[in-house]
Amino acid sequence: MNTPTWTEKYRPKTFAEVRGQSLAIEKLRNFLKKPSTERGAIVLHGPPGTGKTSLAYVIANETKSEIFELNASDLRNKEKLNEILRPATEQKSLTKKGKIILVDEVDGISEVDRGGLSELVSLIESSAHPMIITANDIWDKKFSELRRNVEMVQLKEIDYKTIKDIMIEILRKEKKFIDGDVLTNISVKSKGDLRAAINDLQIASSLENPAEIIIDERNKEVDIFSAMRLIFKGKPNNSLLKIFDSVNMPMEEILLWIEENIPTEYRGEELAKAYEALSRVDIFKKRIYRQQYWRFVVYENALLSYGVSAAKKTEKLGFTSYKKPTRILKMWLNNQKIEKKKTIAKKYAKYVHIGEKRALYEFPTIRTFLLKPEVQEELNLTTEEIEYLNKEN
Amino acid sequence: MTSEIWTEKYRPDKFEDIVGQEGIIKKVKALVGSLNIPHLLFTGPAGTGKSTLALIIVKELFGESWKDNYLELNASDERGINIVREKVKNFARTKSFGNVPFKIIFLDEADALTPEAQQALRRTMENYSQTCRFILSCNYSSKIIDPIQSRCAMFRFKLLEKKDIEKIIRKIETAEKLQIKPESIEMIYEGSEGDCRRCINILQSTASVSPLINPDLVATIISSAKPKDILVVLDYAISGDFQKAREKLLDVMLKESISGQDVIKAIQKEIWNLPVEPELKVKLTEKTGETEFRIVEGSDPFIQLQSLLASFVLAGLGK
Repeated sequence: MNTPTWTEKYRPKTFAEVRGQSLAIEKLRNFLKKPSTERGAIVLHGPPGTGKTSLAYVIANETKSEIFELNASDLRNKEKLNEILRPATEQKSLTKKGKIILVDEVDGISEVDRGGLSELVSLIESSAHPMIITANDIWDKKFSELRRNVEMVQLKEIDYKTIKDIMIEILRKEKKFIDGDVLTNISVKSKGDLRAAINDLQIASSLENPAEIIIDERNKEVDIFSAMRLIFKGKPNNSLLKIFDSVNMPMEEILLWIEENIPTEYRGEELAKAYEALSRVDIFKKRIYRQQYWRFVVYENALLSYGVSAAKKTEKLGFTSYKKPTRILKMWLNNQKIEKKKTIAKKYAKYVHIGEKRALYEFPTIRTFLLKPEVQEELNLTTEEIEYLNKEN
Repeated sequence: MTSEIWTEKYRPDKFEDIVGQEGIIKKVKALVGSLNIPHLLFTGPAGTGKSTLALIIVKELFGESWKDNYLELNASDERGINIVREKVKNFARTKSFGNVPFKIIFLDEADALTPEAQQALRRTMENYSQTCRFILSCNYSSKIIDPIQSRCAMFRFKLLEKKDIEKIIRKIETAEKLQIKPESIEMIYEGSEGDCRRCINILQSTASVSPLINPDLVATIISSAKPKDILVVLDYAISGDFQKAREKLLDVMLKESISGQDVIKAIQKEIWNLPVEPELKVKLTEKTGETEFRIVEGSDPFIQLQSLLASFVLAGLGK
């Protein structure tokens, strides 16, 4: 038996069923109302799983139209194109149904193969039927010509609460139950990609323990823990050089883990040596970035594993519980916290003819008199900014 | 309208009102009198009057309509030379108002631009030299590429002397009906390191607490503004508690939004007061210099500073 995947089964059929994209729907409706001579094409763009293709099918359904779907390779194939376009460009169709031409995922057309894109642009000019184009990144420079010829509608990542609601509804229809925490986890992990979330949901629902679906993330941590144990505890040996291959984590993140845990294991001289190695790793990281010379990765790797390991004189015994890196989180939290400070500094900087960085640096000195209402009024501070100042003192 | 922010309220708006920098004022005044100025390069420490002089120049040149003929940019705030170029282009497109045949663009902190960006800036200066004159300001002229230096008349601003600062403070004292003890002036001057803007800011902060400016009050204001926590960080490191030092360092950097370079500056000054052998002080200074170099080159400041702190732990152990 061929059962559709949930992403197919629960694809919206009507505008009413489409969630969290009301602005886009409004624009699409207006687009379809225009006479064909003024219409051109509309581009739905946004990250994967935000409903671009779904929306196209919903419109077709709502306007009782047929969809002609073209893909990147069709655009290079003149014969095929004619075959599709001939009926499509004929004013009257046999079935009396309207037609919509859908060009899905134009990102697939490569930059080298510009023919396909210019074919698409000329197609827009000649088509008598509404054209809908979907793209992930419409700001790619290969689309510059296309952008001039179309109307653009951006689809936003779907917020996790909406995703969670949709998942709950699906489960209700499927008569299944999954714990709310797991659903929250899935929806947050999806980062606004509804399709990915529904896929995860379907897999989770088939597991004996649905919570296992999020174990993926945790596995990564198991790897990094054992890697750190080998680096920090044991004597340096050549197998360390490959140790990060088995850690399913970007180098950037591994570096943060090591950085966080050097002081939990090392003291005195070994501490200094380990940090020196780490500091060199960071320098190589910057050099790779600047010069795009990727062979430096070798040094980055070796210093971070063997280099940190060799900082100690003797093996370490016993169990150490390693910590999760918190720096990025702290930085993020702090950025939220000092956002108001930054906007205040910006206003002040402009007013007294200095740079924003300088104003931030001077902030502790000026803070006291920024509390004066006359000054606040003069700088046009908002109520939130004034609140921030009052709270700080 | 007079400002409630004293650095603005007491910003001189005539050549005669500027305190210090006499040599520069005389020359610039003569240039402005001839209604034809070359590109100018103002170099010198912060708070010595570079922006003020630029503002006076445009006010003298354009009178009432100065705002229409003046564009102020800060190189360290603009995201890349292209933004600078774009703004310059838009501004320079229209002709100046009045009888001065050019407009003025003031580019502050020009030394924040990379050499490549400065090359691009040079082209821009040439392209619009018919309609615009540039006044560049920087802390270090050595960070400005030669081709730009050679196209500008350079003026080196000096740190204000104590007598200059005192003059400014006394003027504000009278106008704001304050009472300032001589020791307080001494203290404000020390705390400002010759930066006139800081002086006035410290004074206004102190005065917003009380019009009686006594040394204790000034000291409180200054110390609350100083990254004194850096000293705490070093104390932890020297006493061997690296974890605490590291935590505190991140805390200070985030909460006060102090850059890595500012932290380094504070550390470098504190080394000489640490309870360690002279030989180790030299070693630490060397390591501090190396760390600063790495940060300037673009390394992650927090990683580099941790590495430096580890050296302080060693120094605490006498190594």
